[in-house]
Amino acid sequence: MEITIKIFRYDPEKDVRGHYETYVVEGDENDRVLDVLELVKGKSDGTLAFRRSCAHGVCGSDAMRINGRNHLACKTLVRDVGANITVEPVLGLKVKKDLIVDMDPFFDNYKKMLPYMINESPLPADGRERLQSPEDRARFDETTKCILCAACTTSCPSYWANGEYYGPAAIVTAHRFIFDSRDEAAGERLQILAETDGVARCHTAYNCTEACPREIKITKAIGEVKMAMITGKLD
Amino acid sequence: MTTKRTLSIKQRGLTNFEAVMWIFTRLSALAIYGLILVGLIGALIMGARNQMNFADVMRWAFMPNVTHVQSTDLQDLNPWASPFWKLTASALLLVAVAHGVHGLVVIADDYIAGAGARKFIRFLSIVMMISMSGIGLYLIWTS
Ligand code: SF4
Ligand code: FES
Repeated sequence: MEITIKIFRYDPEKDVRGHYETYVVEGDENDRVLDVLELVKGKSDGTLAFRRSCAHGVCGSDAMRINGRNHLACKTLVRDVGANITVEPVLGLKVKKDLIVDMDPFFDNYKKMLPYMINESPLPADGRERLQSPEDRARFDETTKCILCAACTTSCPSYWANGEYYGPAAIVTAHRFIFDSRDEAAGERLQILAETDGVARCHTAYNCTEACPREIKITKAIGEVKMAMITGKLD
Repeated sequence: MTTKRTLSIKQRGLTNFEAVMWIFTRLSALAIYGLILVGLIGALIMGARNQMNFADVMRWAFMPNVTHVQSTDLQDLNPWASPFWKLTASALLLVAVAHGVHGLVVIADDYIAGAGARKFIRFLSIVMMISMSGIGLYLIWTS
């Protein structure tokens, strides 16, 4: 089948501002949008720039706006979006080239959440693992699935309006550690999120939940962090 | 071995003024609903059912000040001017102004990014909050 794909193009060395280019390629309805981009790059225009790595929804490289909504190009089939496709970079982060945005501010916010296990207590008597019950593990299971693709943060109107908001992805990461019974720094993370640019900036627009390719219930997770902040209960 | 973990207010950062205001904004919204309900029920008890139209009842509910019901068919305005209603109106005024001004500050943050400018907006907001509350209280207690 014939697929028409309109792609946002921006070359920082030549262009003052971005523009769109339309390509027509021969593809299959079961192709993924990423395949179509590869076809364009391979057959029509080798200068097209986009990120990809795993091509299987694991690495989180290829979040982009497909027909106006954030998706992973490698998890979006042509038959689900139609043969007329518009592809643009995600919003809220600076475009470096074509579909590639500057992810630094995104990862800076991620790092602010202390995204690692903090536990200063002595190891258990056998000197081996810190054990955790299946229930305690289940408490934060959902937010362990994040692949840091930024689809959520760049779909958030609060983030568009105010780039200082840490954004849903950072809060998802904080959630993953705050509710982990083996971790001891929940308080520090909540203190960071109690700042002006923390959870208070979430106005429950739900865009993040809709955008997440891992189907994490992000707004719910943010709600749980808000509740933990208010009640002090971490279970 | 399910652990119970809790954190004190200080440990979870709720000593941060902005965080406290964020919670205040949520609670004050509930308080506003509650006070409006008080005004509504009070009006119905005091005879609004037969002597007032819907618009006037709503006007009273949103600000239970006696001047808001002067032009209605009410026979006796005295109960509507009691200290109870002045206190209710004052509470509604203070809570609503603080709620609204804080909401404006949060919206302003979306457009004003500089630290100095934000401080200035916060200062202006506090001035606005105090003066609006003052004028409102003056009107309630002298009418
Ligand atoms: S929460 Fe979902 S949308 Fe957000 S970064 Fe993680 S995987 Fe991507
Ligand atoms: S290329 Fe790895 S998630 Fe799409």
